[in-house]
Amino acid sequence: MSRLQALAVSVNRLEKRYGDLAALAGVSLEVEPGTLFGLLGQNGAGKTTLIKILLGLVAPTAGEASLLGEPVGRLAGRREVGYLPEDHKLPEYHTAPSLLHFYGALQGLTRRERLARIPFLLELLGLKGREKLRIRGYSKGMKQRLGLAQSLLHRPRVLFLDEPTDGIDPVGRKQIRDVLLEQQRTGVTVFINSHLLGEVEQLCDRVAIMRRGHLLVSGTVAELTPTKPTWLVGFETPPAGGLRWEGCQLEAAERPGLWRVHLDASAPDSLDRFLAQVHRAGLRLRHLEAERATLEDLYLTLATSDRQAP
Amino acid sequence: MNSHRTLLESNGTAPSSVLSDPPHPRLFRAFGAMLLDAWREFLDAKILFLLLGLIGLLLAVALTGRVEPLPSGKNYLDLSARAMAANLDGVDLARETVADMAGRLNGSVVWIAKAEPLGADLPDGAWSVELKRSFVPVAAGPLPPEDVRRKFGRIADGQLWNVRNVAETSDTLGRNLGMQSFQLTVDPGPDLRLLWPHQFSLFGDAFDLTPPRGAPLGLEVLILQKLLTTGLGGSLLLLMAVVVTAAFVPNMIRKGTLELLLVRPLPRWLLLVMKYVGGLLFVAVLLGLLVAAAWLISGILANIWSPGILLALPSLMLFFALLLAVSMCVGVITRSAVAAMLVTVTYWAVLFIAGQMHNQVVESRFREENVGKLRPTSVVDSLRGAKPRREEPLKAGRVPFHRTLVGRVTEWVYAVLPHTEDVDTLVDRQLMRDLAVSGPFRALVERAEFSWSRGVGLTLLHTLGFLLLACMVFSRRDP
Repeated sequence: MSRLQALAVSVNRLEKRYGDLAALAGVSLEVEPGTLFGLLGQNGAGKTTLIKILLGLVAPTAGEASLLGEPVGRLAGRREVGYLPEDHKLPEYHTAPSLLHFYGALQGLTRRERLARIPFLLELLGLKGREKLRIRGYSKGMKQRLGLAQSLLHRPRVLFLDEPTDGIDPVGRKQIRDVLLEQQRTGVTVFINSHLLGEVEQLCDRVAIMRRGHLLVSGTVAELTPTKPTWLVGFETPPAGGLRWEGCQLEAAERPGLWRVHLDASAPDSLDRFLAQVHRAGLRLRHLEAERATLEDLYLTLATSDRQAP
Repeated sequence: MNSHRTLLESNGTAPSSVLSDPPHPRLFRAFGAMLLDAWREFLDAKILFLLLGLIGLLLAVALTGRVEPLPSGKNYLDLSARAMAANLDGVDLARETVADMAGRLNGSVVWIAKAEPLGADLPDGAWSVELKRSFVPVAAGPLPPEDVRRKFGRIADGQLWNVRNVAETSDTLGRNLGMQSFQLTVDPGPDLRLLWPHQFSLFGDAFDLTPPRGAPLGLEVLILQKLLTTGLGGSLLLLMAVVVTAAFVPNMIRKGTLELLLVRPLPRWLLLVMKYVGGLLFVAVLLGLLVAAAWLISGILANIWSPGILLALPSLMLFFALLLAVSMCVGVITRSAVAAMLVTVTYWAVLFIAGQMHNQVVESRFREENVGKLRPTSVVDSLRGAKPRREEPLKAGRVPFHRTLVGRVTEWVYAVLPHTEDVDTLVDRQLMRDLAVSGPFRALVERAEFSWSRGVGLTLLHTLGFLLLACMVFSRRDP
């Protein structure tokens, strides 16, 4: 397998212990190149430790980890990765361009490369026009966007982002999501740590959930959030009292004005029969939605259970 | 490969040469970036402007000073005549002073009978002198005029006068009876101006800093230069530099900042070493400004441009290299700027106290070895009219310091500590030679032993040790 076709991230029975505490208790994981991968978990689940091991910042206690087919921790491998740490503190005496020049030069970029790349990134992340402002005067969102800019500076093939949209307003989030999708489109593997479930669900193709150092589940968002045999319906004039029809039952849903109906998933025409009954009852439908399990459902179930990794 | 290429092209810039670069330009680039970063951080601490302001103020105050020669030609002609009573041939002028001449008396007495300035009584004026010499015919013979030309004006501190012409005016009878007289015209010698008493005042004449009879110009310049550089001025600047740079490492290894550095393709120890060199260079610039200011000030005030004081820069830098290594080491271990600052200043204080105590040991030993011998005197002493004094024995029952337990422990401790003041001694020696300063200070400085291995080697060894420890801790710890 050539280097470029190798897995972006491959982790095999990885362990990290701090004394008696197991930050990672045997995690195995594979991420294909070009994936937008979301790692979910509560604070202290081991997400950041996993990223730090992949970046070669922390040495594992046991197990193997490789990045783009090479064992982690090699200096040359760091030219291929970009990293945005959680709660990063950018040196406040810099301006955005000077900071990017600093990191870019450490990364090995020539001045010419930096001069071409930096204005592009500042524009991309909406920091243009603030070139003279010291980072001291930046808002949290601006710092976050500048942090993202430094991770993209050297055109990495794998991006590790620890809580990238933390503290950013909705417009900024959309902007960052677009940037990440564009990165993915150009073949970059994006590895996101987050506890913002909706965000991850919206953005990522593949998701894994960690808890207390264990990887609980991993798969595509569709795999992890199967459709349910329930539909949400809304009527122009709500039916008086509960309705009970052949093969189905309506009950009030959590969202106001909507009803949940359980249909027999094994019968292919169950929805048609339900609609025919609505029509017969003289009701007019204005909302119909198939219910899916959300990542939140799955996450809450896993987070509160005592289930361990298989 | 396709995906990677698309990314490069999509941003509209030339393909990256990162992968094909040889390592050295990359290291230089990274080093340049670290220097620039350290410079920004240094500028950000507003203390830099305070320092520059202080140097400027110092310069301004010094430039209000006045250095005026006092009439003193007769004194210095007298001194030259008296020195002819001793045989100065083969004397090491760097180590021996007027007082040491006691054993070299040549059986004659020489004095000035009459002296008239040809111009003003100033260090650049010539004199017409009538010289008398009386000698014991059995012990010493008559002195030919050529010897007078060679000897007159030479004192242990330097060459006061050059004899332009000399003629013997005594007759044969006088010579046979042990009396000679000469008529001389003398010009100022190379060291006359340095040894000539000057009045030094600040703010015009408002603030007189010298005793009524003045002090030799060389000594005044020496004190001024030392005060500004290796003395108070340098110490203050170093202290401020310690305060500013103490935050360097704790800021760098803050959680959230450190990761952004460690993720770069550079070994960790190199990041730390580059930061160290960066801090060192910027303090070198500041110290360089201070030393240059001291040199300029003494040059402008006294028109003495001898470059010896520039040696203070490497001396101060060597010391700061040690302090910065200590500060970085503590910073890496504790992650606290305050701790780094406090430990560094404490370490400095320990070195200072150990140095002072060691000086006492050396003094005590010297005193014991030289009881009854004359103490060195200088032009300053003779200006004051002081008689040479002898080393006195300790009061009965008192143990010399170097024989006490504390004295011995001091020596052991001192033997392993960095000897930063040894390098200062080297600077002092150079300055005193350049500025023709003699007497007890000079004797102290010349007496002190200096070896490169102890003076510089031990300091460098400590510096390297602290750096190495810092790098080891830094490389091994998880961020």
